[in-house]
Amino acid sequence: MKEYIYDNSFDGLLTAIFYAYSEKDAVRITKDMNDLPNLFYEKVTVITEQDKAERVYTSLNSKLSYETLSNVYYLYLYNDPAVDTLILSYVKLCFKCSSTINLAKNNDIIRTVDKYVRRVYGEAHRFHGFVRFKEVAPSVFYAQIEPDHDILPLIVSHFKERFSDQYFIIHDLRREYAIIYDLKEAYFKDFSIEEGKKIVLSSQTDCFESLFKSFYQAVTIEERKNERQRRSFMPKRYWKHLIEVK
Amino acid sequence: MFDIIEDGDKMDLNQKLEILSAAAKYDVSCSSSGSKRSSKAGSLGSVSAAGICHSFTPDGRCISLLKVLLTNYCIYDCAYCANRKSNDTPRAAFTVDEVVNLTINFYRRNYIEGLFLSSAVIQNPNYTMEMLTQVLQNLRTKQNFSGYIHVKAIPGASQELIDKAGLYADRMSVNIELPSDHSLKLLAPEKKKEDIFKPMKQISTNITAHLAERKKFKKAPIYVPGGQSTQLIIGATPDSDLSILSLSQKLYDKYSLKRVYYSAYVPVNTGANLPAIQNPPTLREHRLYQGDWLLRFYGFRAEELLNEKNPDFDINFDPKTNWALNNLQLFPIEINTAPFDMLLRVPGIGVRSAQKILSSRHLAPLNYEDLKKLGVVLKRAQHFITCRSKYHGAVGLNETNIRTVLRPKLDLNIADNPYQQLNLFDHMRDAKMQPAVIFPKHFQIPQKLLLAEDALTSLTGEI
Ligand code: SF4
Repeated sequence: MKEYIYDNSFDGLLTAIFYAYSEKDAVRITKDMNDLPNLFYEKVTVITEQDKAERVYTSLNSKLSYETLSNVYYLYLYNDPAVDTLILSYVKLCFKCSSTINLAKNNDIIRTVDKYVRRVYGEAHRFHGFVRFKEVAPSVFYAQIEPDHDILPLIVSHFKERFSDQYFIIHDLRREYAIIYDLKEAYFKDFSIEEGKKIVLSSQTDCFESLFKSFYQAVTIEERKNERQRRSFMPKRYWKHLIEVK
Repeated sequence: MFDIIEDGDKMDLNQKLEILSAAAKYDVSCSSSGSKRSSKAGSLGSVSAAGICHSFTPDGRCISLLKVLLTNYCIYDCAYCANRKSNDTPRAAFTVDEVVNLTINFYRRNYIEGLFLSSAVIQNPNYTMEMLTQVLQNLRTKQNFSGYIHVKAIPGASQELIDKAGLYADRMSVNIELPSDHSLKLLAPEKKKEDIFKPMKQISTNITAHLAERKKFKKAPIYVPGGQSTQLIIGATPDSDLSILSLSQKLYDKYSLKRVYYSAYVPVNTGANLPAIQNPPTLREHRLYQGDWLLRFYGFRAEELLNEKNPDFDINFDPKTNWALNNLQLFPIEINTAPFDMLLRVPGIGVRSAQKILSSRHLAPLNYEDLKKLGVVLKRAQHFITCRSKYHGAVGLNETNIRTVLRPKLDLNIADNPYQQLNLFDHMRDAKMQPAVIFPKHFQIPQKLLLAEDALTSLTGEI
């Protein structure tokens, strides 16, 4: 039994699918960063090949459907070491039954795929709201987040469009990389926790943070307290970076 | 960009913000969805059609907009209102620049989707509306702000001012607050019905006219692209659920309102004409939201859900279950053949699961186990459906039996009784249960009840 280890990139995943697809035996695909020693699988390191990746990309898009391709991408961002192997089963299922299988909401693979995709999509949507910028220098804004899934690629266009006239950095502390926007382009860059700390330490207090806290407290209706509902919409694990509840 | 505010001023601004946002908090229409405003490169802001929540308060409501009053000084004396003239309450007034400054800076930090600006009536309705419009004009033209703006139309303000404000706003609303003429006379005698409905009608006419313009000329200005909404207070007056929902229905039909919001009356004042209630009737509010949801997305009419004989929802059942139990002759329906709008009428089947049923049954007939996977709440649905011609209901197609199994263990009428403190010990004695803890004096409605499986989707779930 083989385990294909790829370099964490989306093209790497597509290359791995290219090679793993025709395997007869049980096979696994794993991101390099999730690779753990184990005795049962024979490890194969996948070298990303652009042309193979493109072939898989095109056939997912044209032979199956755009929806299938986009599901594969969302799954790739999902935070679970086993997800890459699920992607392979999903792709195989779709090629076997054609992409109408996506309509079979009672099929177990499709259900899991839908569930995961919805989680990634849902978290990305949440973070349109849960990013908190701090003005760290005049007209320069910096935010730290720790999302469950790798959602920066999904939120970049929203922030770029909305804040097109201000410099900003959105820093994913968990994955140690960031979106950087310089009034022209937005790009991704590795960004360590240390670098983030430095930025925060060298900045001044931002007086609008306390104003927002006042606002947050003032609009609460005591008579209607409903802690459970607050947590279900705004889970505790996100609070660390939300200044109004920090 | 603004200069950092100086310290002396800051205290002041903070206090104003506390007073004027607390004064606006009972206005529930928080949503920022349903509008479209394209953003220009190099300018600030965009409007997302889906609506974005930036935070949630301890009461579980979504913070989407900076919701403030321009001022809470008021010349009127509406009985139910915390800002009424006769109340001895701290007063404040923002300047136009202060509101602009807060909006822009909160927005740049991604705290908010935009501004929700309302006001008490200072000096006179026109003066107030003029000030509100100045804030909007400043944001749109001086600051180049393309975020979301919701503004209140002040009843009694001139037509010109309302026309002008609409050119800058994404959404406008006129709060009706009191669901009938009679109640209005009783609790807000200085407000006239015409003053409320006139601007509402005008906004709706303007929206239609501008839409027609834009069909002809792409460049024609947009007018309140997010539509208008209103709010009704629940439980301050004896109006029935039927009269409330019928009013909402009229508003949706006649003025194409985007939304009607319901707000359980929170007793902030006492007065001869006010009910002496202890708890806001939040469960009733919840049932009304569910009923409203059925009007807007499920094709129900108010008179199907309620009638003169039963003018109020039975709080123990969600409105759809209630309706189904009263129309049992239409059931059971076959999952594999029923049309979409009939699937939607089955208790326990929502829009999403109805869509999933449609999509999957088209590949192969569904069996009973499949339904759970598709998100159908079988606890309720089992009584009203067949699956491949087989009926799975545990107690048969019998109204009394179904009512008995679906009735919550704790009668919700007790929990939602606004007139008395809930005496849980009495109830426990009835249920032959031992109270394990001493409940605090100000007992709140247990959260579990509020979060029954028909949870409060209605409050936040915008489509
Ligand atoms: S006009 Fe508005 S602010 Fe003034 S008392 Fe009436 S409800 Fe309150």
